[in-house]
Amino acid sequence: MSQLAIHGLTGLAAASPSPVPVPGAGLFTSSYLLSICVWTPALMAVIITLIPNPRGRYDTVIKQLAFFTNLLLMFVMFIAYNQFESFLPNVQYEEKVAWMPAIGVTYHLGVDGPSIVMLLLSGLIGIVAVLASWNVRERVRAYFALMLFAQTCVTGAIVAHDLFVLTLFWTSATVPIALLVLGWGGPRREAAAWRLAGYWGVGAIALVLAVMAIYIGSGATSFDFDVALKSALAPRAQVIVGLAVIIAAATRLPLFPLHGWARDVYSEAPRGVVVLVAGSATRLGGYLVLRILVAGQPDGAKLLSPLIAGIAVVTVVYAAIAAMRTADLRHAGAYLALVPGGVVAFGLSALTPIAITGSVLALFTSGMASALIATSFTTISERAQTRALAQLSGVAPRMPKLAWLTVLAAFAVLCVPLMATFTSLQMILFGAFKTQPVGAFGIAAGLGLTAIALAFILQRLLFAAPNQEGPAVSDASLGETWYLAVLAGALLWVGILPGGPKIPGTDFPLFDPGLLNVMVANVPEIAAPYTGSTP
Amino acid sequence: VTYATFAPEVIVVAGAVVVLLVARLQPGLHRRLRPRLPWLVAALLVVVLGVELWAGSSLASYFGGGLVQDRFALFVKAAVLLATALAIAAADWPAEDSLSISLAMPMLAAFGVMVTASAGDIVGVWAGVEVTAAAGVAMLAMRRPDQAMRLLLAGAGASALLLIGLAYVYASSGTTDLLNMRGLLAGLAPTLPLMIPLALILGSLAFRSSVSPLYVGGGLVSPLASPLSTGVITGLSATAALVAAVKLTAAVAPVGAVYAVFLEVVAALTILGGAAAALAVRNPRARMAFLAASQSGWVLAALATHYKAGVVAAVFMLGAFTLAATAGPAVMGALGASEAVLAGLGTLRPHRAVGLSLCLLSLAGIPPLAGFFGEFAVASSIAYAGRFELIAIGVAGGVLALVAAVGTIRALYLQAPLDEARRAGFSLPVWSRLSAIAAVVLCLAIGAYSVFANPIFAVAFQSAEGLGLH
Repeated sequence: MSQLAIHGLTGLAAASPSPVPVPGAGLFTSSYLLSICVWTPALMAVIITLIPNPRGRYDTVIKQLAFFTNLLLMFVMFIAYNQFESFLPNVQYEEKVAWMPAIGVTYHLGVDGPSIVMLLLSGLIGIVAVLASWNVRERVRAYFALMLFAQTCVTGAIVAHDLFVLTLFWTSATVPIALLVLGWGGPRREAAAWRLAGYWGVGAIALVLAVMAIYIGSGATSFDFDVALKSALAPRAQVIVGLAVIIAAATRLPLFPLHGWARDVYSEAPRGVVVLVAGSATRLGGYLVLRILVAGQPDGAKLLSPLIAGIAVVTVVYAAIAAMRTADLRHAGAYLALVPGGVVAFGLSALTPIAITGSVLALFTSGMASALIATSFTTISERAQTRALAQLSGVAPRMPKLAWLTVLAAFAVLCVPLMATFTSLQMILFGAFKTQPVGAFGIAAGLGLTAIALAFILQRLLFAAPNQEGPAVSDASLGETWYLAVLAGALLWVGILPGGPKIPGTDFPLFDPGLLNVMVANVPEIAAPYTGSTP
Repeated sequence: VTYATFAPEVIVVAGAVVVLLVARLQPGLHRRLRPRLPWLVAALLVVVLGVELWAGSSLASYFGGGLVQDRFALFVKAAVLLATALAIAAADWPAEDSLSISLAMPMLAAFGVMVTASAGDIVGVWAGVEVTAAAGVAMLAMRRPDQAMRLLLAGAGASALLLIGLAYVYASSGTTDLLNMRGLLAGLAPTLPLMIPLALILGSLAFRSSVSPLYVGGGLVSPLASPLSTGVITGLSATAALVAAVKLTAAVAPVGAVYAVFLEVVAALTILGGAAAALAVRNPRARMAFLAASQSGWVLAALATHYKAGVVAAVFMLGAFTLAATAGPAVMGALGASEAVLAGLGTLRPHRAVGLSLCLLSLAGIPPLAGFFGEFAVASSIAYAGRFELIAIGVAGGVLALVAAVGTIRALYLQAPLDEARRAGFSLPVWSRLSAIAAVVLCLAIGAYSVFANPIFAVAFQSAEGLGLH
């Protein structure tokens, strides 16, 4: 049995109550660890905005500032991850300050297992997004300031433990990302930006309505998760809240039929923005369903689970068929980037402990996979100077590095063994076969269609006879290789060592406690209302 | 000492009169002081703000209850003084028609709002609203007498409606005192005869605050007005009307059922109509005015709940609105006349561009700025009243407003600056130390509103209690 199976399947549901301390745990503590993670990018964005940059003289300095800020953040987040006390059901690194007590708003941050996974994803994506943006030449200061603001919004939404704070950060992300698409996108950037603003705006409306309904339903005393999401709403109210949450999540993740912005944004936005959007900003959709619907409204979740499963299946099948039919490489990448999101949503619809655990892992892996597939296709189109699939043929010999990274991206989307997506898909399908059997077959069929689509695209794009009349192509630069390799490497690392490496001959973790071990903290509590349906 | 609480009003009026008289009677002195006058007036208003915060913190009632100093008055006066000081400091003076009038009228308008906020009876409320509106008309008349006449005539109609409505309310309750009125109305049933005067009053105030569909004062006039007069009309004049609406609705809250539906419809129309109009127009000054109108709809929506929570939220919102709607047009300066000439302002005038962007985003209710916090507080009170459809309309308006605001911000930051030849007579707004400081302080104030939401909300809470809502 492979290491994957040992760590993946025995460890997934186990949530073993025997935490093993990580060497070095507790060496670094801060009461404001999460605030540092949230506000450092915003602070650096302000500093970057204030740096005088006549005729772009300090463009490189600004890029380096953005990069090292993200590196520092990743370091802090890794400390948070490393020192996170696995298997505890409570929220950790908690910060709580009264903000607007009259209406029950608190600046309440905290992380549990799912949040720490998302936090790690946000940190990694931040670094990759900056690396992917190294080719930005125009208005560098504004670009990186907006990108850092967007990161603050994403991280803030992840660590928020108050519905108001969650809404604040969730909705705030729209403006910087829309401006990034509008200012640095391709020829159809205007349409892409307005579509993004429109769809995400609809999501914001739905989220605000859901939050208000929860607030009122819980007695209108507090927006804090511990109060608002612990109050039992009437089943009908839960369904209404659930529908609003599904709409909000579907605009972000995105899911059919609210995916209208995705093709344009993924194909028009600069690749750093694609990484940020596909990698972390959109994962907030799945996170929202987990946090508000699955964890907070169990009756509503049970009633709405067939709907979520149906939407997820349709999304995966639609994305596969659309990728097959398109003649544009970047559009194909955009459609394929929808597939992992559909898998996440399906896992959340299954409502079994093992599927919920798989979905938590899938939030991480799907972000990586979506970002990897969308940006690898983007990079190929940029290196080949065309997006037309009809002109691109047999480029693998001329861009071997990109070809291999693209193949890895395809593997990630298809959830093949050794990729982290495989582990998460396995958990989801194992958990879903009892509660959503039709949906599980639908997802499997959708992935089969995706495999056919990818086989056609990659066969022609990479391995067919080269098109002699096509434009000249060149392989990925060092920077491009790095940002794609970090994404692929993370997927492989978690795929091969989901439980983290151990000190040889012992059970002690070497430096990484293992995503699978850390993420399960609090998941049993989230899944508690659904234990009756545990396979 | 007894009347020191009202020293700010006296200083503001005296300052305005002195500025006008010096310009008229001592032209030589005025000429010498000209470069320093904005500094002096802005500094005076900051000092007055300090006096207000010091002396105005004590609760008092004067002139037999005609003027009262409570937390609501303190809150509104502080917001108005800060907004006026910032507008004057950030003003683009070459784009104004007359230095003395453009300095004096905002002060008089601020005085009008202060009177409205302190008014203990309906006469004071009416007088304050009219003084503020008159200052806006006077400023507009400098550039467009025809439009000023139009605004004056329409305002006179609104004023007449307000007077008739107030007279009917007086006849029903038998008192002009707002606190007494509340007690007396508590025993009355919400009837049609009460509904008509209240509809007249609120309709009149709706005109003054430029809410839908009465955009005469704000969106329609603002493209023709100077930047500061736009600030006075869409900011201070609307604030005066909204303050009056808060005070009157608090007084007649016991019969809230008679106006709640009317206010809800007006609020919904205003939020959506204002945002849609902001999206439709290309003129940045008009866009800002329509965004301000849209946000004033949120204040009305909060009042429609006729709960204490709604009034608290309305007061909280009012501060955010006043700051952005009053100072925003001044920060925009001459370039507010056309979106094309705003291109590249982010590079050419970074302080102004940041201030303008934050004002637009705050008026659009985009997080994490002051407007969002205000709108969220209002949404909470509306949800408490069970009006989820109003929240949906409000957030939909927010999406439209976001698209409108982003449209202008794109021109500021993402478009290359026009060369002088293509700027077609629109010179860049002046850069001065004063305007830069004002823009930075405006940004800090809009940002700090969210950081200090807790104490501001506490004052808003006390304000509602000061209005008799326990």
